[in-house]
Amino acid sequence: MAGIQINNLSKYYGTKEGGAAVSALNLDIKDNQFVTLLGPSGCGKTTTLRLIAGYVTPDAGTIRVGDRVVSSADGVAPPDQRGMGMVFQNYAVWPHKTVFENVVFGLKLRKVPAEAARRKVLDTLAMVNLGGLENRLPNELSGGQQQRVALARSLVVEPGILLLDEPLSNLDAKLREKMRTELKQLQRRTGITFVYVTHDQAEALALSDQIAVMHGGELQQYGSPDDVYRRPANKIVADFMGIVNFLPGTVVAGSGASAGRLAVAIDGVEVPAPVHATYSPGQPVDLSVRPENIRLSPGAAPGALGAVVTDMTYLGNLVEYWLQLESGTALRAQTHPLERFAIGDRVGLSIDAADCSVFSRAAAH
Amino acid sequence: MALLTLAPPSRASALPRWMGLEGLVIGGAILALIVLVVLPVLSLVAASVWDKGLTGGFFATALGSTANLRALGNSLILGAWTGLLSIAIGVPLAWAVSRTNVPAKGLIQLTATLSYLSPPFLTAIAFVNLFSPNAGVANVFLREVLGIDGGFNIFTMSGLVFVTVLHTFPFVYLLASSALQSVDASYEEAAQILGASKLRTALTITLPLVAPAVLSGTLLAFVNAIALFGSQAIIGLPGRVVTLPTRIYALFDYPPQYGVASALSLLFIAITVIALYLQRAFLARRSYVTLAGKGARPQLMDLGPWRWALFAVCVVAFFIAILLPYGTLIAVSFSKSWGLGFWQNLTLENYRFILIDYDVTRRAILNSLMLATIAATLCVFLGAVISWIDIRTRLPGRKLLDYAALIPLGLPGIVMAVALLQFWLKMPIALYGTFAILLLAYVGRYVPLGVRAANSSLRQIDPSLEEAAQILGASWGTRMKEITLPLIRPGLFAGWLLVFVPVIQELSASILLFSSQSITLAVAVYNLYETGYTEPVAALAIVNMIIIAVAIGIARQFGGSRIGLKTGS
Repeated sequence: MAGIQINNLSKYYGTKEGGAAVSALNLDIKDNQFVTLLGPSGCGKTTTLRLIAGYVTPDAGTIRVGDRVVSSADGVAPPDQRGMGMVFQNYAVWPHKTVFENVVFGLKLRKVPAEAARRKVLDTLAMVNLGGLENRLPNELSGGQQQRVALARSLVVEPGILLLDEPLSNLDAKLREKMRTELKQLQRRTGITFVYVTHDQAEALALSDQIAVMHGGELQQYGSPDDVYRRPANKIVADFMGIVNFLPGTVVAGSGASAGRLAVAIDGVEVPAPVHATYSPGQPVDLSVRPENIRLSPGAAPGALGAVVTDMTYLGNLVEYWLQLESGTALRAQTHPLERFAIGDRVGLSIDAADCSVFSRAAAH
Repeated sequence: MALLTLAPPSRASALPRWMGLEGLVIGGAILALIVLVVLPVLSLVAASVWDKGLTGGFFATALGSTANLRALGNSLILGAWTGLLSIAIGVPLAWAVSRTNVPAKGLIQLTATLSYLSPPFLTAIAFVNLFSPNAGVANVFLREVLGIDGGFNIFTMSGLVFVTVLHTFPFVYLLASSALQSVDASYEEAAQILGASKLRTALTITLPLVAPAVLSGTLLAFVNAIALFGSQAIIGLPGRVVTLPTRIYALFDYPPQYGVASALSLLFIAITVIALYLQRAFLARRSYVTLAGKGARPQLMDLGPWRWALFAVCVVAFFIAILLPYGTLIAVSFSKSWGLGFWQNLTLENYRFILIDYDVTRRAILNSLMLATIAATLCVFLGAVISWIDIRTRLPGRKLLDYAALIPLGLPGIVMAVALLQFWLKMPIALYGTFAILLLAYVGRYVPLGVRAANSSLRQIDPSLEEAAQILGASWGTRMKEITLPLIRPGLFAGWLLVFVPVIQELSASILLFSSQSITLAVAVYNLYETGYTEPVAALAIVNMIIIAVAIGIARQFGGSRIGLKTGS
């Protein structure tokens, strides 16, 4: 009942050229899903959220909730008539109202009888672990507690859709992780459609059913966390989703689906690669591979990719090595701390085709 | 395409948004501003160049006649001297409070605040009681007791400058001290570690940093000084020192010369606007001081024994600016007949006269209380709506609205009155001599204060607080009532007080607009003074000050304790 279909949505600030906050966005948010809009600041994710909420009128395109249009360039149903919930980055807990008054506000607007409203507020506060704090004023609460008040205030009116704008970004690391778990459980329990905005890819991976990666006002990829992490649609997504090495190479042979595999030559060594686009032999490409998917072995075997360790960083649960290929390309690799190499060691590299992606070098970036 | 409501809160509205409460309030505020400010000013312009056809005759007279030119010259002289002397008094006091270990800083702060709040026409009356050439008690004392002939004659340009400076030096003082306090000691320490002496540091580092604020305060002093009708009439007219406000006032004697008065008013506006424009430009340059504003730590200079000398200067300032005028007014108000034999003729008769026996003063007090209460409330709400439009909406032309709300800053009181007269005399509604025209004058004159008070409060409130209520289903009216207004309430109370205080003592515009029914407190004081009722005037002045004190007390009780200057940014 509360899915969101976004079709061809655009919003420009200032001039049309170069001023697109959101450009021709298409997104199908299914009911009961936890969907994250992910991207660096300025990528259009917050504008998209505010378009969904109805604070912003689009310049083109439509937003539908269910089968009904709520936003188009002709007009928008104002936020106060959408029945959505929203949690703001700065929480926006009203400083002149107590916790109880903050949370009961939406119920009063819906003319819920006082006693029923009271019970519902207390239940919701208990659900977000704020039981007993209902008479406090916001300035007597910690950041995490204010965050829960904002959450309770949105949840108590049982919205079909809850919009969250970087709700965890003002919390310290420990609390953020705790709230992350709670948010996920909450979404599962209530079945509310969550649209969650963040710039933190780890948060997005941990929470989401679907991630929409945005950059420069455009949707780069829309898929499951595993999809966007392991099978990024382009270099922008690959780069944004975590540390990645781009190894310049040339397509050797085996192009086309028939071959099943592609071979890319790096430093004259052939490396198998997955097929997810059509490349022709001789084409310059970048092979992208994440540091944890590079396995190192002592010494360089003939015919295998070799490198020299130039630096290392001990990270506790793993060790990160900076390596240099013969061609001079630098890359990073992460291994278990039990496998130790020293700076200056020659190592052999092996990369599994399933763990890497190939991008045309002329492509964006 | 059908727009819809998902899970509607209990309110169903089929009307387009602009027809709802929001549209009505916004439209009302825009209309009010046009009627209050824009149309009167336009009609002033029209009256100055239109006499059954386009004419330059009124401007020719305004700039050609000796009487008008002398008034213009006197106003500029008065403004210039007042500005200079405001620096001479305001800067040392500001420096003493902000940068030295002078004792009793509270006394200086009190002197500045009280001087600013005291209506200058009351100070003028107090000093006339002391220094009028024949009957002034100080002069009489010199002549008859000490045998010295040739005391100080208050009815001169010097006398006028003296009385005016007592009201205007706080502008320089307040701006200079806030600038001095925001200059972090590290700037000066950096110069000193490089080998600069204290004097060199003060001249090359501190002074340039605070100079824009000082200049800005001086221009405010100038603008306020030349606009004061009361003191210029009370002191200037007996000494034949005619200035722009008193000249414009005289042009309304029968037969009234509306055209020339309008032309002269526009010249007056031009002077004021140029000064205010420069003031804003200077103040804008101050921004680099406030960059380090967060937690600035000013360097305090240890003056050693010299601090007692400086303290003595501060005490003298307090004595001249506060103790002398107030002491005089209190003494006069309890005298049967003001003169040297004070202790022999004490009486309460003057208070009985103005509060009980004389219906005009009784009515004037009630009128002023009522007008000030209504005007302050209207200004604050109008200001809140205008600044809300500016800050929270994307309404086309909202910046114009903001500028329109600033226009009255450039209108001296008497000019506002001339503009309103021009406009409403032409209208089919007979407003002349009613409460309504006074109310229009007051709200129009002081709406910038309401806008500024609301503006600074509103800017401190994140828009998400309103948005959070909106997404929960709150209509515009509910959001204002439940969220925005309660949050800006302290600022609105401060703004209310900022309007109430000057309206209670408003004379410059009222003097042209009152009637015997709508007479106000300040007009009653002026009229009584003109008719020679020295002692009841003093009693009325004291009542005036008590009302202001009570209003400040009440407003502090309700909404915090911010009180600032009339104009400025």
